[in-house]
Amino acid sequence: MVLSRRRFLIDGVRVTALAPALAFLPRRPAESPGERVLVVVQLTGGNDGLNTVVPHRRDEYYRLRPTLGLERSKLHALDDDHALHASLGELAELYAEGRATVVHGVGYPNASRSHFRSLEIWHSADPDGLARGVGWLGRMADQILASSPGAMPALFVGDEQLPLALMGERGFAPTVRDELSLRLAELPGLEPARARLAESAPRDASDLAFLYAAARGAYAAAERMEEIVRRPARVDYPELALARKLQLIAKLVAGGFDTRLFLVTLGGFDTHARQAALHAAQLAELSRSLAAFERDLAACGARERVLTLVFSEFGRRTAENASRGTDHGAAAPVFLLGAPGGGGLRGTPPDLARLEDGDVGYTTDFRALYAALERDWMGLAPSSAVAPFELAR
Amino acid sequence: MSEWLEPWRPSAGDWDRAAAQHLWRRAGFGARPAELERALEEGLEPTLARLSAARGSPELEASIHPLLAAGDLELLQAWWMALILEGGAPLRERMTLVWHDLFATSNDKVDDVRLMHAQNELLRSAGLGDFRALLRSVARDPAMLRWLDGDTNRRGHPNENFARELMELFALGIGNYEERDVQEAARAFSGWGTSGRAFAFRPEQHDADEKTLFGRRGAWDGDDTLGLVLEQPACARHVARVLLEAFVAPAPEEEWIAELAGVLCAAEWRIDRTLEVLLSSRLFFSPRARRARIAGPVELLAVAARALDAELAPKRAARLAADMGQALFRPPSVKGWDGGRAWIHSGSWIARHNALVALAAADGGRDGEIRVELAAWLGSGEPSGRVVERLLPDAASARLAAEVSSLAPGSNAAERARAAVALVLTSPEFQLF
Repeated sequence: MVLSRRRFLIDGVRVTALAPALAFLPRRPAESPGERVLVVVQLTGGNDGLNTVVPHRRDEYYRLRPTLGLERSKLHALDDDHALHASLGELAELYAEGRATVVHGVGYPNASRSHFRSLEIWHSADPDGLARGVGWLGRMADQILASSPGAMPALFVGDEQLPLALMGERGFAPTVRDELSLRLAELPGLEPARARLAESAPRDASDLAFLYAAARGAYAAAERMEEIVRRPARVDYPELALARKLQLIAKLVAGGFDTRLFLVTLGGFDTHARQAALHAAQLAELSRSLAAFERDLAACGARERVLTLVFSEFGRRTAENASRGTDHGAAAPVFLLGAPGGGGLRGTPPDLARLEDGDVGYTTDFRALYAALERDWMGLAPSSAVAPFELAR
Repeated sequence: MSEWLEPWRPSAGDWDRAAAQHLWRRAGFGARPAELERALEEGLEPTLARLSAARGSPELEASIHPLLAAGDLELLQAWWMALILEGGAPLRERMTLVWHDLFATSNDKVDDVRLMHAQNELLRSAGLGDFRALLRSVARDPAMLRWLDGDTNRRGHPNENFARELMELFALGIGNYEERDVQEAARAFSGWGTSGRAFAFRPEQHDADEKTLFGRRGAWDGDDTLGLVLEQPACARHVARVLLEAFVAPAPEEEWIAELAGVLCAAEWRIDRTLEVLLSSRLFFSPRARRARIAGPVELLAVAARALDAELAPKRAARLAADMGQALFRPPSVKGWDGGRAWIHSGSWIARHNALVALAAADGGRDGEIRVELAAWLGSGEPSGRVVERLLPDAASARLAAEVSSLAPGSNAAERARAAVALVLTSPEFQLF
């Protein structure tokens, strides 16, 4: 494993040794039937954290949000002081079952209010900008590839440009737009001839043998995909873009794909004007899609080995603007779906009485969450030296 | 000069289809059938001279200018693919891609298509000249300065990004400098930034104090630093290694590197004269170099399309290359593309397979973005037997030839030709250049 010394710049101190972190590795229990999977859902545009996890007991909240402040009676209570947006009913049920964890105030020092820069920071796990175009999921994919060459450790499910998070030192994660993406173009007679050639292919240490082995793996994956696509749906998904992406991920996980890292995005969170209806619709899509995904994973027995992280590049300004919207802010809550999150409300709630330049300060460094997911969930080396967040209490 | 770099003097039968294809694949992006026939007739030296010619269509080269205002990276990617597919200046475009991989800069951070184009033109216009001049221009290139944080490198607040990559990746390689050299070089480059889209030196941000570089003390500035780097014996070796990896084989022998570094210095660092020696050497045509590299996506597509005499819409070509893992102007990191086996995984293999099958399946006007006429390409008679000879003359391809001849026996000649071409192009053998 090649790890650059530059990756581990914490508080100006270079940390070159990874050995101490690796000592924690045997935390992964051995009983899981398939490999563990991490699904990352990115809410693109900057999700309004304050109207997602609502501090409805605080007078400051309603003062800051004269028109956008949410009516207490319609919210889904999390604890005495916090409640989820009315559109997050399904997520609230998962929370009540201990399947959803909410982490307050996740961010990083000197928050950038630029979409591009802040996404780059979340994707690279590197607020100092030294990660040279390598993302945190790509770095994990590199580690998996080092032990399983030719595997497909990470996938981007979507049709946008590949996000930085999925770029590794060894290359890009492939993109799967939909169920047809891994479909093979074939011509009559090709498949049997190819199979015969593969049978008599060299099996030595040469590049040619490597290519034949990789091709075998790829054709097998495509074949499995064909078969997976034909399987009847186990549960109904709503007719929503995010739901379709998550359904494909569930199919791949259940169908035995070796992919362990997935990234999907849901856009529409850059709510500078007339936020209320837009935000409610996006949160409803998130909530309904995640709930269907959870049901599907439960139905196929994969629920215990899939953990889902929901994040956004920043929250929004605590005070609403003159267009009944909100501008770019800083820290925001993050969701974890799956029992290993531990359930409940975690971290320190943001203090609306102590704003920094109109934003709430962060109380949990996102890199601590990453480190926990990387080390304790995936069993890989963390991408920063920030102490991991304690996942399960 | 060692015997490796002595000129290859092929006897009558040695300058064959395989040798000519090898030269065209490595020094350019493959030959069209007429170009290959001409190479076989004319011999090695005239072929190398043709590859070195820089006579791309001026209309095509100029066509990017009105498009730059759109700020659309896809247009820039398509334009470069068009230059590559056209093949007017094969070695020049090949070398531009080699430099793009070495001085790897991504629009993901630069976020300015005009700057990416300007850097590409720099690599194109200076890429076959004096490496020392190229390196000095790259150090002042605005896209590079944005990419490696020149603008934030100020006196008292050095940013080491460019200084480090200059030594580690661009010019010397790990082990040929100390950590201290990086820190001192960063100070020397302080004040080198951009103003709008131009290079700008800001004296008030420059650290003019003394620095120690490679054991020598002085009030070095950025230009001095580049001079000191170029003076390091490791520098010529580093460039020689880059050329050998690009044109000969991965993991070149130390002996070859030392010899080629000597050639580079004797040629006053001119890349064209160095490549003239390398590309006509015994080493270049030896079994060590033949089919020794796993093809990258851009070269794979271009070589396949040109070998079939196909016309491939450049925008489609750029997208297909990106699907396979090589989006031009978006290398994954400043290290460029790792290449070799890192090109290959299940997803990228399927992308390769589908792109190459699409070339064959477009026969007879079935694809609006690909024009290919396999009947004309193969000539009259039962065609499939000729497919292996045309596409893979040098591979140990008896197995392939046998499969091709027994392909889809019930179908018509056109169907058999399409299947034969698809089978050969998607074979692991064809991915080795």
